[in-house]
Amino acid sequence: MPVDLSRLGQDKLFLVLSTAEKLRQNNIQIIKTLTDGGYKVVVITTNRPSGILKKIYAAEGIELSKVFFIDAITKYAIGRVPEGEPDTVFVNSPSNLTDLGIAITSALNATSGNKPCLLFDSISTMLIYIPSIAISKFIHFVASKLRLLDAPGIFVAVEKGIDPLLLTQLTTYVDDVIDMDAPSPVPGGDGEPQKA
Amino acid sequence: MDQKQGGVDTAGGHRAWILAALALVCIGLEIVVHLFFRTAIGYTHIFYILLVLSALWYYRKALLVAGGLVCAMVATSLVVGDLSWATAIRAAMFCIITWVVASISEERDRAKAELQVKKEEAEKRHYALVGYLSEATLRLKAPLETLRENLASMRRQIDLGVDTEDMKTMLSVQIAHLEQIIENFRELNQEIVEERDDIPQEFGEFLTR
Repeated sequence: MPVDLSRLGQDKLFLVLSTAEKLRQNNIQIIKTLTDGGYKVVVITTNRPSGILKKIYAAEGIELSKVFFIDAITKYAIGRVPEGEPDTVFVNSPSNLTDLGIAITSALNATSGNKPCLLFDSISTMLIYIPSIAISKFIHFVASKLRLLDAPGIFVAVEKGIDPLLLTQLTTYVDDVIDMDAPSPVPGGDGEPQKA
Repeated sequence: MDQKQGGVDTAGGHRAWILAALALVCIGLEIVVHLFFRTAIGYTHIFYILLVLSALWYYRKALLVAGGLVCAMVATSLVVGDLSWATAIRAAMFCIITWVVASISEERDRAKAELQVKKEEAEKRHYALVGYLSEATLRLKAPLETLRENLASMRRQIDLGVDTEDMKTMLSVQIAHLEQIIENFRELNQEIVEERDDIPQEFGEFLTR
């Protein structure tokens, strides 16, 4: 099931909504679509350690050379950074927005010549560590940064896990909202992603 | 707000004009009926319209209007020469009626204002409660769903024979998430306990433990 990011050329920023059950699978689909499209994907992970994500991506046939990780959970959860992890930056904690912001800026600048694209996985997990007001401001900061660099970005969130106020704010920061798990109006097209 | 203020100003302006017109009618009656026709019966009932409206709108300041009418009536009575106990009783009635209506009106508007304040406070508390519930759902329920899915995914991975080290790492992540969720819950309760004075101390301590 390919992810419909066909407007990635025209629209730059997307908010992707997914059910909690399909979050992992949808993450893989998005990465696959982006790497196949020649993008160098900067993945910000706050839920799964980058080491595990690398194994999952490799098992799914995703080219790891096209993925750069900003890992905000490993150091916080296990208290140390694994050695010998290429293309990975570790941030102390998902709540350390300053370091996270610096890491994002550095990663985007470092990959600026390689068609960079940012994947934020996920806003819902970030809500464990920071209040909704702070996350709204941070996403606005990242979105502004991406617009300045003219780079696309995808923000993933658990569908129904975001309150109407935060959802409205996030919607104003992006160009398009995609509901990955909305039923398709086309007969037999179950599971095709739809614009929200 | 400006529109409301403008509306109040317009209403105040209309009231002043109505009272001024009524005052002119009353003075006119005093001159025409009392001074020229030499009768002091009946016409003074019209005065009560002016006095009641003044008291309703301007509370005890209306006693100045009553005083003015009393002066006018006494002055014409002196000119006409019919100053009597009836004049004194009429004058006293002007003042008493005005004072009673002014007091009732003042009390009614004060109660209305108090009710409005209470209503606004209740609305504020309602919005605070909705805000609390929304933030609690956002930072507790939704993350727990993610956690549940993580654990379900880990269980599937065990069936597939996942690496033990990876499983330990994933478990550490879930523990970290849970610790933060518990802390979030405590912080949210702390905010409520600090804001509400009506929560007993024992419950406050229990909620923020």
